Amino acid sequence: MSLTWISKLALAAALAVMPATGWAQSVTISYLTHWSPETVTLLEAAAKDFSKTNPDVAVTVRAVPFSDLLTTLRSQGGSSDGPTIGGIYDLWLPELARDKLVAPAPEAIAGEVKGAWPAGVVSAASVGGTLYGIPNEIDVYALNYNKALFKQAGIAAAPKTWDEFKDAAKKLTNKDAGQQGFGMINSWAAGVVHPFASLLVSNGGELVKDGKPVLDSPQAGETFQLYEDLIKSGASDPAMATADANTTGPFLDNFVSGKTGMIIMANWWESALKTGMGDKFADIATAPIPVGPSGDKPHSISYSWMTVVNANAGAAEQKAAWDFLAWLNSPKSGKNGASAMSDILMSMGILPSRSSDIEAHKDKLGSEFLSGYVSVLADARPFPVVPGGQEFSESLQQTLEALQYGQVSAKDAQKNAQADAVSILERAAK
Amino acid sequence: MTRTYRASAGIMLAPAVTLIGVFILLPMLLTVWLSFQDWSTQTPFANASFVGLDNFREIFGPTSVGRDFKGALVNTALYTALSVILILPLSVAFGLMVYQRDVAGGTALRTVLFSTYMVPMIAVALVWSKLYSPSEGPLNQMLGLVGIGPQPWLSSPRSALVSIVFLNVWQQVGYFTVLAIAGLTQIPGSLYEAAKLDGASRREQFRFITLPLLRRTLLFSAVIGIINAVQVFEPVALITQGGPVGSTNVLTYHIRRVGIERAQGGLGSAMAVMLMLALVVVVCALFALANRKDDE
Repeated sequence: MSLTWISKLALAAALAVMPATGWAQSVTISYLTHWSPETVTLLEAAAKDFSKTNPDVAVTVRAVPFSDLLTTLRSQGGSSDGPTIGGIYDLWLPELARDKLVAPAPEAIAGEVKGAWPAGVVSAASVGGTLYGIPNEIDVYALNYNKALFKQAGIAAAPKTWDEFKDAAKKLTNKDAGQQGFGMINSWAAGVVHPFASLLVSNGGELVKDGKPVLDSPQAGETFQLYEDLIKSGASDPAMATADANTTGPFLDNFVSGKTGMIIMANWWESALKTGMGDKFADIATAPIPVGPSGDKPHSISYSWMTVVNANAGAAEQKAAWDFLAWLNSPKSGKNGASAMSDILMSMGILPSRSSDIEAHKDKLGSEFLSGYVSVLADARPFPVVPGGQEFSESLQQTLEALQYGQVSAKDAQKNAQADAVSILERAAK
Repeated sequence: MTRTYRASAGIMLAPAVTLIGVFILLPMLLTVWLSFQDWSTQTPFANASFVGLDNFREIFGPTSVGRDFKGALVNTALYTALSVILILPLSVAFGLMVYQRDVAGGTALRTVLFSTYMVPMIAVALVWSKLYSPSEGPLNQMLGLVGIGPQPWLSSPRSALVSIVFLNVWQQVGYFTVLAIAGLTQIPGSLYEAAKLDGASRREQFRFITLPLLRRTLLFSAVIGIINAVQVFEPVALITQGGPVGSTNVLTYHIRRVGIERAQGGLGSAMAVMLMLALVVVVCALFALANRKDDE
């Protein structure tokens, strides 16, 4: 056979194969997330699985630091070439929906989500009754404490009330050893505001009621006072509280190195603790938020994350994106009846929100660390999802940090926080 | 003849003037126009509605918007002033050291000094955030060796901005040293020889020859230093996020937060206009001061 004939046959064979490979991948969609490289690898593996049965769709994953996620969505989401899928925090949804950056979920998907997820989680992924995203994770706050430090300080059990909490924080403080009783966080809005809000709701208060801020309540006043007491007594040191752009930094370093006795944090930081502590992770336990003098029982703050689709992406890209998300979050994509998304989330210690996923991961959710979070979920109060919520959160962060550093008194902090919140939420509601 | 000359000059200038107009003047004018509008950055310009001076009233008002803007303006001014105050004398000192022909290793020192300017800011930010770490940071460990207790560096609102200034000085001083050396080469050696013959000490030579003849170079360095410092963004975004308590919240970072994250395009534009005006005033004042000195 001559060389010419061999070339012709090779060309014919290549053309015959191409429709099934190169030509078949006619739609490329991109997924924007803030996850770590290890987690991105898991998502990429899931995307490859999806492409096996959907050879016409290629999924690429792009990760940015948490602090750049909203900016990236806002600056690139207005274009059809921006990320097709984005993982977002529920607080951002009202404004992203108002600015038409995210697409409403197709009817079939909306119907499935409404049946398969708890109503509260579905409502956090909706604006005006329209579902915009497929919820995936739910995060809730609880008290994390170091059992070894508790033992050293002669504390038998986790504090249940604010008095016990203050007492434990005092006993755990050892300035000569650079040890603080309770670790606050600064330089990161959610890290500052969510623990405060958890203490507030455990004291019978609220951040926002019927769309109006209620930080002028007596319960809020007591919570600001608790912060001032902890700072003034030296049981909490703001210099040990800084976070960086990746939501790690000295506040995390101090807890994993045994220099902070207690901290109020969400379940998702299990993976950061395990990485930082190794075998010493066994020293960490979880307990409900201590109840304040005006509270009835422990509550905490919860928030959820969801995946949304770029409203400016092409029709084919949007369809492929919803198909991928429906598959990723379905019980068929993961192991033992769990979704692939929930398997990814559980690798980070994050609670999945789909009812069937909670059932499928029952064993792991029963671990000593996570069971403490699961147990407080029922009484958790969702962080208020209102227009202007992010600005409100950042403003409250500034006030709480000023209180941490002794720049304002508890009374002034409460007054400033309420005045700022009123002005921000009124402007955003216009 | 004059008409032909004007036409050909116009034709030759047109490409540059068009490019400047489209890419520099138009965005500036658009920013000024937007500063008088209520506009979400996610919507078309057609959706902007005229609000007069409301945005300016808001950013100078008593609410959190005004407080944050004024705080960021002060932080930017402090950062700029401290950076320039530290960089200029250091660049002249290093320049003199490197320029002296009788100093061994001058070329090596020049290379080392300039190399910091070539390191990407992401690497600088990563390294310095670890150097400043309050518990495990090498800086505190070194201070501990000489009996000084740990410093909070980035963890305290009192020291965070200054810590970012140190980082900036470390990175920029090499570039300004090169500028100073360029200025030193322009000073005729005969002046120093004459001064020596007249019995002038080294200090007097520096005060009455070097410094006056370096004035133009220093003016240029100051203007570039101010413009660079006002545009600081990366170390804040990468390390401190504007905290703690907004102590490192500089204007460029704040405008990005307001204009992009919160999509408040009108407010962000008003802030950008104020930043531009402040920069114009400072640079003009600097030139006016230098011109007055020249006249004297």
